[in-house]
Amino acid sequence: MGNDDHVLIRQILAGDKDAYGLLVARHSVSIFRVAFRITENEADADEVVQETFLRSYRNLGSFNAQANFRTWIYRIAMNCALDVLNKSKKLTTLPVAEEYDGELSTVQLADSAAGPDRLLLSQEIEARRQAAMKKLTPTEHLAFVLRHMEDRSTEEIATALGIAPNSAKQAVFRAVQKLRQSLVPLWVKS
Amino acid sequence: MKHLTEEEFIEHYYGEDVYKADAEMHLQACNQCAQAYEELGKLLGSVRTLDPPARSPEYGAQIWQSIQGSLQPYPVKKKRGFFMWPQLAYACACLLFVALAFLAGRFWEHTHRPPSIAGTPQQSRERVVLFVLNNHLDRSERLLVQLNHAGAEVENTNLPLRLEAQQLLTDNQLYRQSVTQANDPLLTAALDHLERVLLEVANSPDELSSADVARIEQEMNTQGLLFQIRVLRTKVSQQEKHSQAIRTGVTL
Repeated sequence: MGNDDHVLIRQILAGDKDAYGLLVARHSVSIFRVAFRITENEADADEVVQETFLRSYRNLGSFNAQANFRTWIYRIAMNCALDVLNKSKKLTTLPVAEEYDGELSTVQLADSAAGPDRLLLSQEIEARRQAAMKKLTPTEHLAFVLRHMEDRSTEEIATALGIAPNSAKQAVFRAVQKLRQSLVPLWVKS
Repeated sequence: MKHLTEEEFIEHYYGEDVYKADAEMHLQACNQCAQAYEELGKLLGSVRTLDPPARSPEYGAQIWQSIQGSLQPYPVKKKRGFFMWPQLAYACACLLFVALAFLAGRFWEHTHRPPSIAGTPQQSRERVVLFVLNNHLDRSERLLVQLNHAGAEVENTNLPLRLEAQQLLTDNQLYRQSVTQANDPLLTAALDHLERVLLEVANSPDELSSADVARIEQEMNTQGLLFQIRVLRTKVSQQEKHSQAIRTGVTL
């Protein structure tokens, strides 16, 4: 696959624009998947995919032939997703979330039996999760999604975000801590 | 027992801890850490996003259709000829230009080369000879003047003429030999005359009497020698100035 990508890139740089269509077809679904994980919005994810391939084509001349095209375009996709996240953060107002009550030190786990209360709680958890995700910085958000949803290693996250591995690890830690602070009260409530 | 930190819990949860076996052993042995880790696992396990909606097999083609109108094909690179004539000709032209510039510079330097400041070794030597000869004639003139005045004014002279005459005598012998080789009969004759006077004074007693001085003046014709020396010194000075002017002109 990697070598095939390089062959196509040489064709594109030689003037064969249509060869890029094959690259788009090859990588668009995986880019969409991660874009959706980050944006949690189908239209935004589609926008990220389009913008990613547009930027990728324009910068193809600077692509290092020794590099992996998938890693390279992934990084572009992260930047595009960041732009979308920043744009949406400006447009939306964060819902006011309940703060964690430190006096409640014990944690009681939810009953596994499903009932109306349980469904209601799940909805509340989902709403709180979304609010908590929006509290994360863009880097923490991306790092957490790549780590938790996409099961990427710290090295891969660092490469995709263009940061040091230790910074990527710290971003994941901070994201988990913030999520914990937001979600633990719900566990207590349950 | 050292408990696991929150960071170690998270690393262990994602399988990125360096000492995985140690963490496992600790979690088995420590109920407190095991409970905290279980809570973290359940918390993170609850964090799930919506599954991405399925994309049709034509999704890539759809994306391509939506963006291809915005993309300009990369310019086709012309295949280079076997010998790359344009590049080769350009390189040759550059080399030729550099070579011509070098040769022109060498030619210009050769034709416009300024005479060296020091001049030829012969010119330098001539300037030195003129300088020291002028100095020697100057000192000789002063000695003759002192000698003439001494004979006319005082009874016994106690001037250091003898010592000065001895020093000048040694120098004069060298200059006379040099001038003889240079084939300058006028200067040779004057230096020869001067040498005899200097020899007489150098060999005279410490205190010259007026009678001694008068004898030397008369026998050696020191008045005439003084005139000769003055003429020669003027001539040598002019030559030295001329030589200095040439040198200065070159320097400027």
